[in-house]
Amino acid sequence: MPSQQIAFDAGLLRRYDRPGPRYTSYPTAPQFSADFGEAALREVARASNEDPIPRPLSLYVHVPFCFSPCFYCGCNRIITRDLARGRAYLDRLGHEIALVAPLFDRDREVIQLHFGGGTPNFLDAAQLCGVVETLRGAFRFADSDDRDISVELDPRFCNPADMPVLAAAGFNRTSLGVQDFDPKVQAAVNRIQSVEETRAIVDACRGAGMRSVNIDLIYGLPGQSLDGFRKTLDTVVAMRPDRLAVYSYAHLPHIFKPQTQIDDALLPDPDTKLALLQAAVEHLTAAGYVYIGMDHFALPDDELAVAQARGGLHRNFMGYTTHADSDLVGLGVSAISHIGGSFSQNPRDLPSWETALDAGRLPVFRGMRMDEDDEIRADLIQSLMCQGEVRVRAFQERHGIGFAEYFAADLQRLWPLADDGLVEVGPDAIRATPRGRLLLRNIAMCFDRYLDQTSVIDARPRFSRAI
Amino acid sequence: MSSVPFPRFNPRVLADDGSDLQFCTTCAFSHACLSQGMDKAALMDLHVLVEHVGPYHAGDVLFREGDPFEAIAAVRAGTVKTCVTDRDGHEHVLGFHFPGEVIGLNAIDGHRYPCDAVALDTVMLCRFSFPKISVLAARVPGLQRELFRLLSRDIGRAALLAGDWSADQRVAAFLVGMSRRLAARGFSASHFQLTMARTDIANYLRLAPETVSRVLRRMQDDGLLAVERRAVSLLDRERIEALAAPILRE
Repeated sequence: MPSQQIAFDAGLLRRYDRPGPRYTSYPTAPQFSADFGEAALREVARASNEDPIPRPLSLYVHVPFCFSPCFYCGCNRIITRDLARGRAYLDRLGHEIALVAPLFDRDREVIQLHFGGGTPNFLDAAQLCGVVETLRGAFRFADSDDRDISVELDPRFCNPADMPVLAAAGFNRTSLGVQDFDPKVQAAVNRIQSVEETRAIVDACRGAGMRSVNIDLIYGLPGQSLDGFRKTLDTVVAMRPDRLAVYSYAHLPHIFKPQTQIDDALLPDPDTKLALLQAAVEHLTAAGYVYIGMDHFALPDDELAVAQARGGLHRNFMGYTTHADSDLVGLGVSAISHIGGSFSQNPRDLPSWETALDAGRLPVFRGMRMDEDDEIRADLIQSLMCQGEVRVRAFQERHGIGFAEYFAADLQRLWPLADDGLVEVGPDAIRATPRGRLLLRNIAMCFDRYLDQTSVIDARPRFSRAI
Repeated sequence: MSSVPFPRFNPRVLADDGSDLQFCTTCAFSHACLSQGMDKAALMDLHVLVEHVGPYHAGDVLFREGDPFEAIAAVRAGTVKTCVTDRDGHEHVLGFHFPGEVIGLNAIDGHRYPCDAVALDTVMLCRFSFPKISVLAARVPGLQRELFRLLSRDIGRAALLAGDWSADQRVAAFLVGMSRRLAARGFSASHFQLTMARTDIANYLRLAPETVSRVLRRMQDDGLLAVERRAVSLLDRERIEALAAPILRE
C-alpha cells in the first residue's frame, strides 16, 4: 500500500531544487529525433493494432490560440483575437483526423479525449462539440461510464451557459486556470481574473453534471506573497474543486519568450517560494485533499485518489489518469503521440503543420522508438511517479532482469538520496518517504539514462526546477 | 527458478549453441540423440551436416513457395510463420514454428517448397541438406525414427483446427498447444510472448482479429489468463485445457 503521506522538509527541498524533467514521458522530448517521420509513424501504428488485445486509445487535441498573453506561459500558443484563425485551424484538424483515424483498427475504443492549449475555449462551445462529433465519426468511442472527455478552460472567456452544451456533447471533466487571485500577481502576469467569474464556471460545470472540476494554481509567480497566496488558497478550497494542481513557476525566459516580460525583481526569492509551496501543501492537506504526486492533489473520493490507493494510477502527457495504458494519439500543432513503443510529435509551428496537412501528409516532424532499456526505465519511472514506489520482485519478473545488477549504477546514484531520507531502498521495494514524495522527480532522475548527456552538461537549464 | 519465458531477448543468448558432442538445447534432433543413444561417430556425422544460419529479422522471407527444395531447417531461436497466398492475394497462415521445430518437411514430396516461411522476430536456423541427412538416416536408425516422428507430428498439427469449433475453443487450443510446445523445449509453460501478430493468429484460427481480442479479453476478465501487450500468462490452466480438450482430443 503506497503511502499518501507527505512531509514538508524545507532544508531538503532547498538542497534538491535542481532542474529536471517532469516525466510526463520517458524518454523526454529532447531525445526525439527528426529521423522518425511519417513512414515510421505508420509502421508503429500498424504494429500497435497487432497486439493480442490492442490497447485502447486516448486522444489529445491541441488548440494553440489565446486571446491574451499570460507572461508566465511556457506553452505552445499563438496570441490572436481573430476568430477566423480558429475556423481555418478546425478545417485542417479535420484533415488530420481523416488521415490519422484509419491507422487504427476500428475495434480500438477511445477511452479518453482531452483538449489542451493554448486556450481550447478560444473555440466556442459549438466548435468544440463539432470536433467531438468529428472524432466520434472517425473513431469508436467507448460507451462506458469511465470514458472521459475533458477540456482546459480559461474562465475569463467562458460563458456559464455553455457548460450544459459541452456536457450534452459528452464533456465530463474541466480544468480551470486560476494561478493566483492576488490582484498584484494578476497584474504582474497580465491575467486579470475575478473570483466571481471563476466561481460561476465551477458552479456551471457542477450544475451541468460534470464529473470533476480541476483548478490550476501556480506558485513562484512575480509579486506573490505568502499572505496573498494563502487568501487564494482559502478562496479556491471554498470552491471545493475535485482536483487541484499547484505548479511551480519555471522562469526560463531564454526558452519561453513571453517570460521576458516578467520583471525578475518581482520574483519571490527561493525561501519565499518554498514557503508558498509549504502553505499550499499544508492548506490543501488540512482541507482534506490527498497528495497524488508531482503537483497534484485530489479529494479522497476522487477517482485519482481511489486509483492511487489501489495501485491503478497512470501518467501520460495529459498528467495523471485512471486509465490503463493506452496508445495516445496527439492531434493539432505541437501535439505528441505515444503509440506502442514510440513517441512522435507534430511540428511546433503552425505553418509547418499546415503545409504537411495541405500536402496530405501526416504532420509528424520528430520522434523516437523506445529500445528495451527505455521501456524498462519508463516502467520504473512511471511506477515511482504514480505510486511513489517500485516493487522489486514484480518488476524483475515483468522484465526478466536482475534488479540489483541491471540498475547497479542507478542505485549508486540513489544512495545519497536514501541517506538524506528521501527514499528507502530495500530488497523488496524502493519507496519514496513522506519527505521524498515532493521530490519524486529527483528520485526518478537517478534512473534516467539520458540525463547526463542533456541537462547536466547544459550550462543553462532546459528543464524547470524541481520546486 | 522456473524456466525462461519465450522468446529469449538477449541477442547473445538467443539460442544456446551446442558443441561437437553437445546439441543445442532446443535442437530438433536432441530427442533422437538422447533417447536413441547415438554413438559419437553418428553424432559427429550429423553435426557436419548442420549449418547454422541467421539471424533473420522480422519480415525476412526464409523460403518462398515454389523455391527448389534443398534443405529442412530446425528453428534455433525465434518464431517462423508458414503461409500460402491464394489466387485472390489472400494470405492463409498454415502454422507457427518455435525453437526445436522443423520447417520445410512438407517440401519433401514435390521437390519445391509448397509455402512461404517468414521470420516473425529474430530467427536463427539450423539447416540440414535433405539428401545428405537421408543418407545418414539410412545408417543411423535413431535418426530415421526421429525424422518420421517429426513428419507425422507436422501432419497431425495441420489438421488440428479444421473442425467446427467455437472461437473460445480455438483460442484455448492455440494457447495450450503453444504452451506445450514451448515447455517441451525448456521454456516456461505459463508465461510466453505471442510473437505473432493478432491478424496472423486470427487468420490461423479462422477468426476475425477483433474476435481473437474479444475472446482473450473475456478470458482475462474471467481470470483464466493475463495479457500485457504481447505477453501472456496462463493463470487457470485447468479451465483453459478443459476448453481446448475437444480440439486437442484427450
